[in-house]
Amino acid sequence: MLSYGFMQNAVFVSLCISVLCPCIGIFLVLRRYSMIGDALSHASLAGITIGLLFGQSPVLGAFVFTSVCGALVEFLRSYYEKHTDLILSIILSLGVGTAITIISSGRLRVNADAFMFGSILTVTKTDMIMVLALSLVSLLAVAFLYHQMLYIAFDEEAAKVAGVRVRLINYVFSILVASAISVSIRIVGVLVLSSMIAIPVATALQLGKGFRKTLVFSVIFSAFDIMSGLLFSYYLNVAPGGLTALISVALLLAVILAKRLLSGVKGRKSHS
Amino acid sequence: MIRAENLYFSYNASPPFVLNGIDFELKNGEYVSVVGENGCGKTTLMKLILKFLKPVRGSIASEAKRIGYVPQKQGSMNSGFPITVYEMLDSYRRLLGIREKAVVTESLRRAGLEEFSAALIDTLSGGQGQKALIARAMLGSPDLIILDEPSSGVDPSSQKEIYGLLRKLNEENGVTILSVEHNLEAAVLNSTLIYHLSKGKGHVCTPQNYAEEYLRNRGES
Repeated sequence: MLSYGFMQNAVFVSLCISVLCPCIGIFLVLRRYSMIGDALSHASLAGITIGLLFGQSPVLGAFVFTSVCGALVEFLRSYYEKHTDLILSIILSLGVGTAITIISSGRLRVNADAFMFGSILTVTKTDMIMVLALSLVSLLAVAFLYHQMLYIAFDEEAAKVAGVRVRLINYVFSILVASAISVSIRIVGVLVLSSMIAIPVATALQLGKGFRKTLVFSVIFSAFDIMSGLLFSYYLNVAPGGLTALISVALLLAVILAKRLLSGVKGRKSHS
Repeated sequence: MIRAENLYFSYNASPPFVLNGIDFELKNGEYVSVVGENGCGKTTLMKLILKFLKPVRGSIASEAKRIGYVPQKQGSMNSGFPITVYEMLDSYRRLLGIREKAVVTESLRRAGLEEFSAALIDTLSGGQGQKALIARAMLGSPDLIILDEPSSGVDPSSQKEIYGLLRKLNEENGVTILSVEHNLEAAVLNSTLIYHLSKGKGHVCTPQNYAEEYLRNRGES
């Protein structure tokens, strides 16, 4: 399987996704913004179509458009402080509205389906360079801003007292979310992209560990989900996005079940 | 340490004001409790000192080089957040730019929380959680510690430990303390001064004078 060039490309991109998505996703999930991540991933479809329309890299188009939408989320937050769910509708309308308008105009020479469901055949060399560059820069930014982002998510007031520039870092964070989404669209696809951002973190949260360990387990679960999704999609000849999402939910349920069984065994031991 | 002059504040920037032209001065080394009925502006005053809010009119300034802040445990922090006591302090140390890791263990020792270092914040009792927040506020030797209702949701024996710790910081280390209090007994027993807020105005009194004033008012009503 790995002797094929397209599979080597897909494995390389998947490795980048499995590290980057949970590193960004953990902050989104813990700030209760996973649905905003979902809205941004749907909005990235507009960026893809704009990129394709102008003959540019769709990954670059997705990154630029999703970054703009991310900044718009931050901007709108001050206007809808108590109705943040409305921001979701606004971003979805803007993103999906743009995408549908461009696709239905018939001006795209490429089929956009591969970006909706994910594909292992369509990863190009240009995509790989974009994915590598975005992943490296984003991971460096996460390492550099780790403590600031952790505290903004955990206790924003304490972060402000310590001199953290919360608003500025929130804008940087929205660019990082855009980066994680852009890196993932080729393999995972727009429709189930949020599964890579939220579900490995949701699975790791079930282990009841501290922040650093939760992050490490999120990366491990994410790598398992996407690599298994890739492997099975090759043999079953289906889109990797859907399978990855199914595997991530199955793993989450398995961890919850294992946790219940273990606590049952512990309970019986303590009674006897 | 803190000086407020002719301070006005309301959340929509127009009358009626929550704080209605108050003058307030907190000197170095004092332990001041801010008391008053619900909605009288205690927490608003604290937020103005911390620069979370801006005055509508007048001014408020602090000379503190480093401020330690202790929020109400349930009010400010993100519940269900997977973070250990050690991680909470160590990350804050990094935000404050303190290089020595040892300050974290020292702070935990002073708060009596060494054995809870690896515990998740969410699993702590009210008293232990409050002590963890005080341990965080002690990082980097602050000259001012601001607390928002430190005994809220804390059992009586832990309250005793918390106020003992605050008094020690104030008396032995000279840390200025400003505590927004709903616990009047703790305010009278521990503070050097009390700032009583009522109907947007405030006045300073000694704990003894405040206790007498409180008892007199209760007798009248």
